[in-house]
Amino acid sequence: MPELPARKAGIVACSGEEIAEGTVSRLAALKVLHETRRGATVTICLPLFLAGGEGDRTFARIHPTITVDGCELRCAARGTEIYSGKPAASLVVTDLLSRRGLERPEGRRSLNEAGRRAVELTADRLAELVDDVLGRSGGDTVDLPEAEPASKVPAVTCACGSGIPLSTITIEGRPVELVALPLIFQSFRDAVRVGDATLGRELLETVKIYNAVATGDEPGYTEALLREYQAFCAGRAS
Amino acid sequence: MSETSRLTVVVPCSGIGKALGSVSREAAYELCDNLRPASTRLVALSKLVLGEEEARRLVRRSPVVTIDGCKKMCAASLVRHSDGVVSREVAVLDVFRRHSHLKPDGIAELNEDGRELARVLATEIADDLASLLSDGGIHA
Repeated sequence: MPELPARKAGIVACSGEEIAEGTVSRLAALKVLHETRRGATVTICLPLFLAGGEGDRTFARIHPTITVDGCELRCAARGTEIYSGKPAASLVVTDLLSRRGLERPEGRRSLNEAGRRAVELTADRLAELVDDVLGRSGGDTVDLPEAEPASKVPAVTCACGSGIPLSTITIEGRPVELVALPLIFQSFRDAVRVGDATLGRELLETVKIYNAVATGDEPGYTEALLREYQAFCAGRAS
Repeated sequence: MSETSRLTVVVPCSGIGKALGSVSREAAYELCDNLRPASTRLVALSKLVLGEEEARRLVRRSPVVTIDGCKKMCAASLVRHSDGVVSREVAVLDVFRRHSHLKPDGIAELNEDGRELARVLATEIADDLASLLSDGGIHA
């Protein structure tokens, strides 16, 4: 069983390649991901919600997600809500600049000075939103370690390097990959759930939110989940 | 059909976390802004995620070149999902293998090797555009 990853905020940028504000959204997201809130944030390429697999589509259900859009089309916010889950917060670069009375950026390939200022402003606001959704005090400088390497925590990987935990457990003699299992176990353990009568059913229902489980397979899943949960609570790797 | 008589749509991936994604985007800009500005049109992949009608119309009516930075091939997949036909499907990794002396690095800002790889890739596509338009064939 992999170690539990820290709770992180998900960031989804539109990256709109056609306009400078799309470039601002991407660069602001990268600044937060790699600099100001490094270790507290993860990302996923927006198109993976459609082009990827089921694991990619669980992103916003697992991570409280903040979307960053370059324009009023709000592709990232609307796409995330349609295909993954409702964002915890949303940010639109054009709105932000308008509210601050700042000049619109130019240069989708290489931003002008106004564009670089827009990146700073957007990144600052994005960092505030990260603090909000993670319950951190405003203005904290987060200095957390980078995400666990893939070799340590198996993950549903994508081009953006995001990592949703993916575990393999044995169900009725065969290996089965399940998305988000450590997070589910953690939430049950946090709720001090032990071996009561409804535990197996509730574990299964939660697992089914993120994973497809055929009706006929449910008894085997329930048995395996109870076994793995006991091992998890005992701190043993399966 | 002359190259300028028909628009070619270029769709790069929206890779945000890897250098090859940045190469795909940079190649698309090089192609659409510098090499073939009159005959190409860049379409943002995020619009296809949303199903924006103008973007869907463009990829359905025009030859489409997709440039993807990883094996997930999001750009090609979403063009097809939008009922478009991919006339040329480019994987940056394939081009990188042919020019392995160029080592792209950097995400927010590509290094010089990354920019050169993008230029090479864009030039290859530009050189092929005329035949792409004339026969409408698949050049995967």
